[in-house]
Amino acid sequence: MAVPFLEVEALTKSFGGLRAVDNIQFRMENKEILGLIGPNGAGKTTLLRLITGILKPDSGSVRFQGKQLVGLKTWDIVNMGVACTFQNMRPFRRLPIIANVMVSCLSPRSMRRGEWVKVVESKAMDALEFAGISDMALEKASTLSQGDLKRLEVARAIATEPDLLLLDEPFGGLSPAETDLMAKSIRRLHKGGRFGRLHSEGPAMIIVEHKLQQLMKIVDRIIVLNFGTLLAEGKPDDVVNNPAVIEAYLGQGGGQ
Amino acid sequence: MVAAGLYLKRFYTVVRGEVLVLPSRVIVALFFLVLLGMPLISQDPYLIRIIVLTSIFAILAASWDLLSGFTGQMNFGHALFFGVGAYASAMLNVHLQIPPWVCVPLAAVAAVLTGLLVGIPCLRLKHTYLALTTMAFPIILMGIVFALPDITGGELGISGLQRISNSMIGNYYIYVVTMLVLCTIMWKITDSHTGIIFHAIREDELAVKASGINTTRYKLMAFCLSGFFAGIAGGLYAHYMRIAGPSTLEVSMSFTVVIWAVFGGIATIYGPIAAVFILFPLLEFVRFWPEYRMLIFAVVVLLILLYMPEGLIPWVRDKIEKECPRCKIRNVATRKTCRICTAVLD
Repeated sequence: MAVPFLEVEALTKSFGGLRAVDNIQFRMENKEILGLIGPNGAGKTTLLRLITGILKPDSGSVRFQGKQLVGLKTWDIVNMGVACTFQNMRPFRRLPIIANVMVSCLSPRSMRRGEWVKVVESKAMDALEFAGISDMALEKASTLSQGDLKRLEVARAIATEPDLLLLDEPFGGLSPAETDLMAKSIRRLHKGGRFGRLHSEGPAMIIVEHKLQQLMKIVDRIIVLNFGTLLAEGKPDDVVNNPAVIEAYLGQGGGQ
Repeated sequence: MVAAGLYLKRFYTVVRGEVLVLPSRVIVALFFLVLLGMPLISQDPYLIRIIVLTSIFAILAASWDLLSGFTGQMNFGHALFFGVGAYASAMLNVHLQIPPWVCVPLAAVAAVLTGLLVGIPCLRLKHTYLALTTMAFPIILMGIVFALPDITGGELGISGLQRISNSMIGNYYIYVVTMLVLCTIMWKITDSHTGIIFHAIREDELAVKASGINTTRYKLMAFCLSGFFAGIAGGLYAHYMRIAGPSTLEVSMSFTVVIWAVFGGIATIYGPIAAVFILFPLLEFVRFWPEYRMLIFAVVVLLILLYMPEGLIPWVRDKIEKECPRCKIRNVATRKTCRICTAVLD
C-alpha cells in the first residue's frame, strides 16, 4: 500500500478542561487542496498548529509522507516541507519586507540545492514578485496594509518551497478585490512551476477559511470541525448541503 | 612612479565616491585616523591610558549589543563574560606562565564555553525572567571566586600579570587596532544574513521557527559570539591593569554596559562604541569634581533617554542624513535629490 501523503490519527489536544481538538483523524493525498471550515472556536487553528509542531498534542499522531511529525521541532517540520501562515499576521515589523522573506530563504530547505548564499536576495525577491508586493520590497513591514501583510505571510511560506502549505484564513480581512487576487495566486501556486528562482512543485494545501463562497471555488474536498470534533467530510457541494453542517453554522432550524 | 600615481588617483576616487558622500562615513574615517594617529600628536600617558581603557570597554559594549540589541536576549549579567575572560587570562598567565598573546585567545574560548553554559538554560526564558536569570550568573561566579582564594586570589584578585607589550605606544596600538578590528567584525556579522536572522528572532521568535530556522542554534550562536568578544575584552583588560579582581564581575559593571548601549542606541553596534567613547572619557574628566561625578553622569544619560529614546547616535544620524523614500539609500541632509536614484528628498 502506498504511503499516504498526510495522515492524521486520533489527534487530541486540551487546554485546561477544553478539548480544542478531540480525536481527529483524516487523510490527505498529494497535490490535494483541502478546505478546513467550522464555526469560531472549532479548533481549526489549533489543528494546524498541531501539524506544524507549534503546539504539542496530548495524544495521536501526524504522519507526513510516512514520517512521524509529532515530537519534532517546528523548524524540522518546516524543513521537511510543511509551511504555514499565521492567522494573526506575524511579520518582523522593523525589518524591510525583503528581509522578512530572506529569513525563509535562509532555511536549510530553501538552500538544499546547494544554492549560493548570493542567490538568497533574488529568491526572496521572486517570492515577493509572486505574492505581488515586490514593489514595496525595501519598505518596513510595519507600513504594510492588512491585505499586503497576508501576501507577505504567503510569500514567507512559499519561500521555503513547501510540499504541504497550511494557510490560516488567507482571505481574512481582505476586500473582495483582494480576495480574488489571493485566490488567483493560490491557484497559480497550486499549478506549480518556476517563478524566477523560486521552485514550486504545486504543493498540497490545507486552507482554513470563513469565506465559504471563495473557498468552494478552490478546494477539492472539505472537512468540517465543530467543538474540536470532525463533523463532516466530503466534496464541497455535499458538505454545504449536509444538515448537520448547516445546524452547526446557523443553529437548529437554520436550514429552513 | 606612474603606477603609484594611478593607485593614488584610484584611492582618491574611491574615497570621494564611497566615504565623502555621507557625513557618518566621514566621521568613522576620522575616528579611525585620529585613533591611529593619536601618539603622533600627544604621548601623554594619562590620555593614552584613557583611550586604551575606552577601547576595551567599547568592545564590551558592542558585544552586549550583538547579543541583547540584536537577538533581544536581554542580558543583565554581561560582566560574567568579561570576568571569565579576565580571570581565565590571569590564571593562565600567572599560574601557568603562558604568554599574554596566547592567554587572551584562550580566555575568549573560556568565555565562549561560558556562553554555551549560560545560553542553554536561558533558551526557554524570555524578557524579564531572562534578564533576572542572567543577572544571577556573575554573582554566582563571584561566590565561586571567593570560595577558592588559592586559585583566584579571593577578594584581592590575581595580580602581577604580564603586559602584552612593554612599550606604552606598542600597547596603545595593540589595543586600539584590536578594538577597531573586532568592532568591524561585529558590525559585519550584524550586517550579514546571520544578522537578519538575529533581528528577526528579536521581532518574533515563533515566526522565525515557522520559517524553518533553527532558532536554538542561532540564539546559542549569539551567546557564544557575544561571549567571545566580551572574553577578549576581559583578557585585554586584565593584562592592561595587570590584575583580575572581583570588580570585573560586579553588578554595576553589567549595568554600566547596558547604560552605554542604551545611551548610544541599541541594535546598531556603532552606537554603543560611540557611547563608550563619549561617556567613559567624560566620566574621567569630571574627576575634578568627585562629589558630582555620578550625578553629572546620571543627568547626561537621563537627558539623552528623555529626548532621544532611540539613543544618541541614531538621533544624530537622522539629523545629518536622510533616507531616500524610493531607494532607501542614505543621503546628506543638505541634498535636494537622492544621489543614486535622483528622487526628490522631502
